[in-house]
Amino acid sequence: MFDLALLWETRELILQGLWNTVWICFLGCLVAVSLGLVLAALRLSSPRLFGYPVACYVELCRGTPLLVLLFLLYYGGPSIGLLLDAEIAGVTGIGLYGAGYFAEIYRGGFKSIPKGQLEAARMLGISPWHALTRIQIPQMLRLIVPPGTNQLIILVKESALISIISVDDLTKNATTIVNQTFNVIEPYLAVALLYWMIIELIARGGYALEKRLANRQPRHVVRQGESAHAHG
Amino acid sequence: MPMADAVTTPTTTPHQTHGEPIVEARGIGKSFGELEVLSDIDFRLEPSEVVCVIGPSGSGKSTLLRCLAFLEPYDHGSVYIDGQLLGYEERGGMRVRARESRVDAVRAPVGMVFQHFHLWPHRTALENVTEALRLVNGLSRRDAEAEGMAMLERVGLAERAGHFPESLSGGQKQRVAIARALAMQPRVMFFDEPTSALDPELVGEVLDVMKQLAHDGMTMAIVTHEMGFAAKVADRVVFMDQGRIIESGPPETLFRTPRSERLQQFLNTWRERHID
Repeated sequence: MFDLALLWETRELILQGLWNTVWICFLGCLVAVSLGLVLAALRLSSPRLFGYPVACYVELCRGTPLLVLLFLLYYGGPSIGLLLDAEIAGVTGIGLYGAGYFAEIYRGGFKSIPKGQLEAARMLGISPWHALTRIQIPQMLRLIVPPGTNQLIILVKESALISIISVDDLTKNATTIVNQTFNVIEPYLAVALLYWMIIELIARGGYALEKRLANRQPRHVVRQGESAHAHG
Repeated sequence: MPMADAVTTPTTTPHQTHGEPIVEARGIGKSFGELEVLSDIDFRLEPSEVVCVIGPSGSGKSTLLRCLAFLEPYDHGSVYIDGQLLGYEERGGMRVRARESRVDAVRAPVGMVFQHFHLWPHRTALENVTEALRLVNGLSRRDAEAEGMAMLERVGLAERAGHFPESLSGGQKQRVAIARALAMQPRVMFFDEPTSALDPELVGEVLDVMKQLAHDGMTMAIVTHEMGFAAKVADRVVFMDQGRIIESGPPETLFRTPRSERLQQFLNTWRERHID
């Protein structure tokens, strides 16, 4: 039988795991989302100086498992004088790894805006900065919300790997309960549900944002009379 | 329409002064890698003059217009807008690329209309027109909207002000694009195949707006395949082939008595396709 009492008795471990998973994922995703934007901007900026290093970084992220990156940071770090707490190594690993993917998502978003729109802006004398903030980013945001949401979900799920570098996250604490009680189903099912909840929240947030960005109604339309008044 | 008479008697524009071109290109050349797309082009655009550039695909006519606007940097020669060198600066006897802000300043008198409109899809028709008024000219929202509505009225689209580009027809989009360019009060307008992306039944409404502009004395350079329009509205027609200007002159001369074999061929091909 499914032993609910067992979950109640071990609730502190589960809640601690939930809290650790949430804050580590949150900070890791924050690093990924912001560093990714910087990387994409560097890659697309007109002096091609940064293009190649950024491209290499992206390929490195895509070409290596997150777990190996975490091992390098946590177990390999000390040999080059980098002593990180397991949690900080987790945030760093998720952030650096996710940034590579987000850089590509942003780059795709920027690239899919026709170059002509920017030429039109230049011909009107609109500065590159205004073209970026008023024309490119608003359109890019719309395009990247679905793949961005997807990537956040993947990062949260992959965060279970930080349990292997001894972070007391949901997965590790579930394993601890299993080892103490020899009940396998209840702890793992419980944390599976909790992961699902976190991810459902992200997914719904993504849908809401998508809707909000897409359904923008014209905020203002000058009335006929008004303009006729102004211009005879 | 006696518009063609304007070649020799530009009576519709009393302020016109001959001899000071708004746009002048001297010996410009442009290559994309090995491929030479423009060679040794001289081009002048006088105030209130309407020049149509025709020629087969790949003849370099769009590239010429883009070089005149410095959307493509030219490799040789010089382009002057109102007497100012566009895109380059002389520094210590050397020619160097001008800063973007300098390029913007020199080409400020130029408005451009593109084949594919290039409206910003996340902005309404009115916002497309007011964006530069607010960002570049620093107008308040209220003033920019009043000005923007006036421009939309000028192209007959005031009632579409609140529509996003996706809900406009191709012809309407192009008219919004024209209004957007006009809002910055250009002294010269460049049109790069403005009707080539339109369904045939929508071409007329755009050409009508352009005719009105020509009638109002706007200086225009138009790359087009619309021979009928060129014949009626242009003061001068320029025929290009393989990156060179082959012939140039008043439309009646060029279309009735083409001197070069290539223009004759080009016109024959066009007639075969259009007169049935």
